[in-house]
Amino acid sequence: MSSAQIEIQLIASLVAISCAIPGTFLVLRKMAMISDAISHSILPGIVIGFFITQDLNSPLLILLAAITGIITVILVEYIQKTGLVKEDTAIGLVFPILFSIGVILIAKNANDVHLDVDAVLLGELAFAPFDRLLISGIDIGPKSLWVIGFILLITIGLLFAFFKELKVSTFDPGLAASLGFSPAIIHYGLMTVSSVTTVGAFDAVGAILVVALMIAPAATAYLLTTDLKRMLIYAIGFGVLSAITGYWLAHYLDASIAGSITTVLGLVFLMVYLFAPNKGVIAVLYREKQQRTEVSLLTFLLHLKNHNEESERHVNHLNEHINWQKVRSKSVLDLALKNNMIQLDDNIVSLTEKGDEFTSQAIDYIITNEDAQIEDMKDDFFLFRG
Amino acid sequence: MDITEYIMLVFTDYTLRTITLGTAILGAVTGMLGSFAVLRKQSLLGDAISHAALPGIAIVFLITGAKDSNVLLLGALVSGLIGTFWIRGIISKTHLKSDTALGLILSLFFGFGMLLLTFIQKQPNANQAGLDKYLFGQAATLVESDVWLMAIVTGICLMILLLFWKEFKMLLFDSDFTKTLGFNTKFIDILITSFIVLAIVLGLQTVGVVLMSAMLLAPAAAARQWTNRLSVMVFLSALFGAFSGVFGTAVSASQNNLSTGPVIVIIAGVFVLISFVFSPSRGLLFKQIRFIKNRRDLQLHKTLAFMFRIAETHENISHPHSIKILNNFQGFTKGTLQKLVQKNYVQLNGNMWSLTREGYKTASNLYNQQTENNE
Repeated sequence: MSSAQIEIQLIASLVAISCAIPGTFLVLRKMAMISDAISHSILPGIVIGFFITQDLNSPLLILLAAITGIITVILVEYIQKTGLVKEDTAIGLVFPILFSIGVILIAKNANDVHLDVDAVLLGELAFAPFDRLLISGIDIGPKSLWVIGFILLITIGLLFAFFKELKVSTFDPGLAASLGFSPAIIHYGLMTVSSVTTVGAFDAVGAILVVALMIAPAATAYLLTTDLKRMLIYAIGFGVLSAITGYWLAHYLDASIAGSITTVLGLVFLMVYLFAPNKGVIAVLYREKQQRTEVSLLTFLLHLKNHNEESERHVNHLNEHINWQKVRSKSVLDLALKNNMIQLDDNIVSLTEKGDEFTSQAIDYIITNEDAQIEDMKDDFFLFRG
Repeated sequence: MDITEYIMLVFTDYTLRTITLGTAILGAVTGMLGSFAVLRKQSLLGDAISHAALPGIAIVFLITGAKDSNVLLLGALVSGLIGTFWIRGIISKTHLKSDTALGLILSLFFGFGMLLLTFIQKQPNANQAGLDKYLFGQAATLVESDVWLMAIVTGICLMILLLFWKEFKMLLFDSDFTKTLGFNTKFIDILITSFIVLAIVLGLQTVGVVLMSAMLLAPAAAARQWTNRLSVMVFLSALFGAFSGVFGTAVSASQNNLSTGPVIVIIAGVFVLISFVFSPSRGLLFKQIRFIKNRRDLQLHKTLAFMFRIAETHENISHPHSIKILNNFQGFTKGTLQKLVQKNYVQLNGNMWSLTREGYKTASNLYNQQTENNE
């Protein structure tokens, strides 16, 4: 590994971390699409900043672009407040228009300067190590490393300083307001951090892929845990992992680093989406199937309880009466038998004592809907577990 | 090139005519279907789909190695549909919310698409140049067959729309009711979503993945301000879309270095802005005017009620009083007093005012009405 390679991976990892932190809160606050809007609409800010400073890493440019990001948020909120369109439409209107203005500004003015739309969309991490920061002639590392490192430092500082406030206002805005934390300040603070991070990361991964680094690790982490601290740690972990793996994938394929980082992020998300223990699709589908069987079981038991006549309790009659397919009725019958809820004498089904008690409890539960009554049933009965 | 010259050229120049027609048709079809997206609160779906279409284009190119735009669009369609259904899967099967799902699919698919595009660029296939036009779109590459394709798709959309109008409309405003009536809501839902995806994919070549969502939203958001009827909204939206396309092409053709896509989006944005401000029933301007007028009326009533209270204590209701006593409360201005005089509720005599009989009657009724309303 050359020093340039190490530097690229370092930059990518730092970008991933500094995106994951605000990203987690955006996902939890259901504002993920705002990051998409910001990442597009800072373009005019960057272009104007670039015309003034001629340097993509200058603090002034970052400031200007971040202000554009905040203007976007304010504009979206203003349009939403007029009640003319819904929030999502407001987002969808504002950022393409601002982005278009940025593209036109580039096309009209920036033909002879180093700023093209492709670079804006993709960033160019591979060139980052060549842009060195020199202080009194001494080379102290790539500029973008310093920029993103500084942003990360501020983000982490703010996170530790305001963790409690952020947490409360994210999960219970009403409580936060009544405790005296201004929701507006926290909201705009988060927006500012997101804008600044987006601008800082922009150089490295480009406008749209910033969104991936913000949302994907957080969403992946959210599928695995419901603890905020853990979610932050997981998100950072996924971000860094994808950044480094993505770099090597790009190295191998000789393709865009940012693109391959996103692809790795996508694969990680897909894996977790499918296989997460409780919230993954497979687990959910399995649970749904379980629940369906259990509802059937309950229906079946209720039916038995309601009918004492032998003719109503014949196995074949049950098939017709509850209108189930053969396979399904068989599986329900087996399940009930296995749990000792019913007994079979000569194809006549009757409830055992346990089954009878269980059914009455279940009816009670359905009618009263009180949790305490079924505490002890929860273990062997999937349906009521939540 | 100025505008008159441009209009001349539209009728004579093949390229310009094709582009203008293409963008107009595109604007119309996206506007039409965009109305549904906006009303179904799926505005950002367009953004997600258009980004999600990118890997489809790249994969088809990798497989076929050809740049036939129809085949590429087919790839985009498939990839866009996969994205859409994955979004639905995420929303329905996990606790992630729709915004997260949209942002995820958007960025992940796009990132994957970019990976493939950069990978293709490094390939020795000379044919690859120009694939990145799908990022921002290049209306200039439209040829007559593309326009035909657009026209055919628009025709099919229109037919389906007319055929399923009742179902679409009902699903839009009351999906539960539709379900209870026995319609297959899932099918209708998938149908309309698929056509939205189709319209988006169709526009990729012209406007590009990044800005396509605005084409879908802006005309519909503008049209929404002018009407409360779905049919009128769809029609207006198509009209706005078509005009954005035509004007956008005209502006970008008359200037150097202006790509068509962003210009069309900005023109559509102007339509939205105008609609937001000037729409008679919902627009901000008229809303503000109504607001001010209401406030004035209220002030007028307040002054009148105040005068009534004073006049009440006197036997002769037209007993003159000094204007000065009105200064004690804030609703009074010279203007309101003048207005009251105009309505013949009040007579002015130098520094003194007195309530007329008519004014007294109105004021007492006003008072009664208010108490009635309060009860």
